[in-house]
This record gives sequence, C-alpha cells and structure tokens, in this order.
Amino acid sequence: MLKHLYDTDCVTWSPQGKLFQVEYAMEAVKQGSICLGLKSNENVVLCSLKRQPSELAGYQEKQFKIDDHMAIAIAGLTADARVLCKYMRTECLEYKYTYESHHPVGRLVFKVAEKSQHKTQSGAKRPYGVGLLVAGIDPNGVHLFETCPSGNYYEYKCQAIGSRSQAARTYFESWFHLFEKSTLEQLILHGLSALKKAIMEDEELNEKNVEVGILGKNQKFIHLNAQELKEYIQKLETFNANTQIQQE
Amino acid sequence: MIFNSELSGQQQHTTSPVVTGGSVIALVYKGGVVIGTDTLCSYGSMAAFKNVEKIAQVSKNTLYVSSGEFSDFQQVVKELAKIDRSALQYDDGVHPSPRDYGNFLARLSYKKRCKINPLYLQNVIAGFHNGERYLALVDIYGTYLESNFVTTGFASYFCKAIISNYWNENCTLDQAKQVIRECFKVLFCRDCRAHDMIQLGYVDEQGVHIEQAERVETKWDFNGFKTRANEKLHTQ
Repeated sequence: MLKHLYDTDCVTWSPQGKLFQVEYAMEAVKQGSICLGLKSNENVVLCSLKRQPSELAGYQEKQFKIDDHMAIAIAGLTADARVLCKYMRTECLEYKYTYESHHPVGRLVFKVAEKSQHKTQSGAKRPYGVGLLVAGIDPNGVHLFETCPSGNYYEYKCQAIGSRSQAARTYFESWFHLFEKSTLEQLILHGLSALKKAIMEDEELNEKNVEVGILGKNQKFIHLNAQELKEYIQKLETFNANTQIQQE
Repeated sequence: MIFNSELSGQQQHTTSPVVTGGSVIALVYKGGVVIGTDTLCSYGSMAAFKNVEKIAQVSKNTLYVSSGEFSDFQQVVKELAKIDRSALQYDDGVHPSPRDYGNFLARLSYKKRCKINPLYLQNVIAGFHNGERYLALVDIYGTYLESNFVTTGFASYFCKAIISNYWNENCTLDQAKQVIRECFKVLFCRDCRAHDMIQLGYVDEQGVHIEQAERVETKWDFNGFKTRANEKLHTQ
C-alpha cells in the first residue's frame, strides 16, 4: 500500500476508504502511557500509569477534574489534552452559571467529539493527538466514555487506552461481569490489577507512578493521596477476583 | 439577543409596559404546586383582552406564569421552549428540570437588567421533579428566590394575610385552590386592574394540569346596594 501518496493531509481519502492522518493521530494515543477506567452502579474509577521523562523530572499527571461530577484521564499528546480539558471545564462552568446544575456527561462528550471531528475535515488543521477517558455522574446514571482523535466517542463499562492497554482489556474481559455490583474498594483493586497486567517486567506499581481518581453518586471527584495509594497497592497482593465471586 | 432594536440605529429600552397581565398567586401543596392568575390583559387602565390564557406549560413538569408586560411573557415562553427543544438534538433523554428553567430565567433577566433594558416581568416558575416540589420567583432585576408561596403585583399587598391564615405547605390541592380563589375575590374587589375570571393550573407527579377559566364568586346583592342606604345619608 503506497500510504505516502494519501497521507499528506486530512482532506485526502485513500482508495481503501481511510483517512491516514486520522489513523496516525490514533497511533499517538497508543503511544501514551496506559490509563483505564471502570464503573459500577455507584462509582467510576480511573487508574493511570504516570511517566517520568527522566530521573530528575516529576511524573506527568494524567487525570484532570473537569467539574465536581466529571473527570478525564488522558493518553497521547499532553498539550492537546490541555486544550480539550480547558474547553470541557469552560463548558461545565457556563452550564453551571446558567442552570445551576451539572452539565450532562454524554452531552459534553458529544461536544468534544464534534470539536475533534471538525479537525479531521480541514486542509489546514490536524486532528487532536489525544484520547480521553471521561468519567462522570449525571441524572442518567454513572458513565464512562472514550473519545478518539477521529471524533468518535463510545460509552463503556470499562476501557483501557494507551500503550500495552490490550493486557488490561484482557483482564477486564474476564472480570467485568463483577464490576456492576462491586464496592468502591473492589473497583479500585480491579483497576489496579488491570494496571499491573500492563506494566513492563522490570517496572512496579508504587504510589509515585500510579494515579487513581474516584467519582461516585455521593462522591465528588478526588484523587487518592500517596498514603491511600500505598495501602491499596499493598492490598493487591492478597486481592483475588475469585474471592469476590465466592462472596456473592 | 431577543430585543434587537438596532434596526432604527437607535438603541431602544423598555421604559414602561403597555399591555400588562395582573397578579399571580402560586402555592405549594402536599402533592405539588398550584398557580392561579386572572385572564385579563390590561391596556393601561382599559380591560382590553379579557379571555387570555396566561399559564404556559414549558415542559412536561414545569409551568411558567408572569405578571407585567405581556409581550415579554410571550417571548420568554418561546425562549424557555427553545431550551427543551434543543435538548432533543443530543439524543440523551436528559431534559431541563424546573430548577434549570428558573435559573436560566434569572440569568436572562439579570443580563437584560444590566443593559437597562429589562424584561418587564415578575416571573413565577413552578414544577415537580424527582418527587420534589419546586416554586420560584424571578423578578424584573433577575433576583431569584425559591419559596413555598409566591405572589406578584397587588396580590403581594392584599393576599399575604389570607395565605398565612388559611394555607400551609402540606394542605390538599382543594384547600390550596380555595385559598387562591379567596385571594382573587379580594383582588377583584380592590385591585382596579383585576378581573373576575381566573384560571388555575397545577403540576404534580403526573405532570401538568391546566384547568378551564372560572368566574370568581362575587356577591353584589347587598341590601345597602339595593336600598341605596348610603345615598339617603347624604341627602339628610
């Protein structure tokens, strides 16, 4: 396939019906470090692996609060993520100012998707190189969405994006039937277990390189602090999804 | 926005109302909220339009009524309906709650007041959402107040005593309606711009119900009127 003939800009189709620039943008998401999300009837949990550019540097934050009832986890170009984050925060604030209530989650994801699609249909623009996992609670229930540089968005029960995310997704496929009725603690442990599957052999999870954010019907979005993270990572040793089945 | 009078090149401002609606009384009762208003639109001191339906259903569970400039009322009804309609395009089944409408109207009124071109209205929004009753007043300045009972216009002067004596927030629908009818009886007697045809509407768990207009009970066959007792006094 002579890709290079059709991949110069967004306004060129390939004979196979692909927009290569958009596909390349999706690759950027796959290069980002892993982040995953999973939800139960009451809570949503976001877990991510933070990268450290060098020993001298800090760890790159991957989760951002959009509003009390909504948060995102990013994979891909951090700069592009910042743009989308700012947009989402502004929209939520304006909605709150006008209606004194929370922006419905699906609607905001739709707006982000519209914005993303716009960038895929212009000669002078490039798609956003970031995928978002959007966790949110609204009157319609508990939500987890994924957005793509292509402008598509999907709702999930649980999803992982970024590098080596397939390993986490495999874990999810085996255990997601338990998530609906899981407690918050079980959900966090499931998330961390999935994250553990996706790290390299010589890496390990610790309170510095892991980021966990939780949202609930009665719980505004918060990050777990270093102490709590340490405890949960320790609990991982004895956590076994099989035991959850026995309890039910 | 909606009052775009830049056609003449000169910014015009609402200085005084032309066609006005009368008092509005709204009370919360055990299962919902009931609103009463008369069916008159006055042209100054002339009772010009006597059969006007002034209770607007804005959504499945929200009612909107106002007193003041009637054309502003009609415009606001359109603006509120727009919000609900535009919610359809998102395909997510989420519709504005009564509180959303109330706050939106407060923002709108405040914006126009800041431009010294107000919506010349005292607005009342009533609704029932998620098992909770909702009643709010938004005034001409954009002040937003949620309350168990709301009165606008002359009703604020004449009717508060009647309401506090005969109504409580957990009364039945019929009791609340009776209190409103009593209030409009008094208003018809004492407010020059009031009318004896009123309309009641209420919103509860099942949704919105707007009733037919009814005539306020009045009694004119007093002995004094018939025998003209007062007149005799003056000739003595």
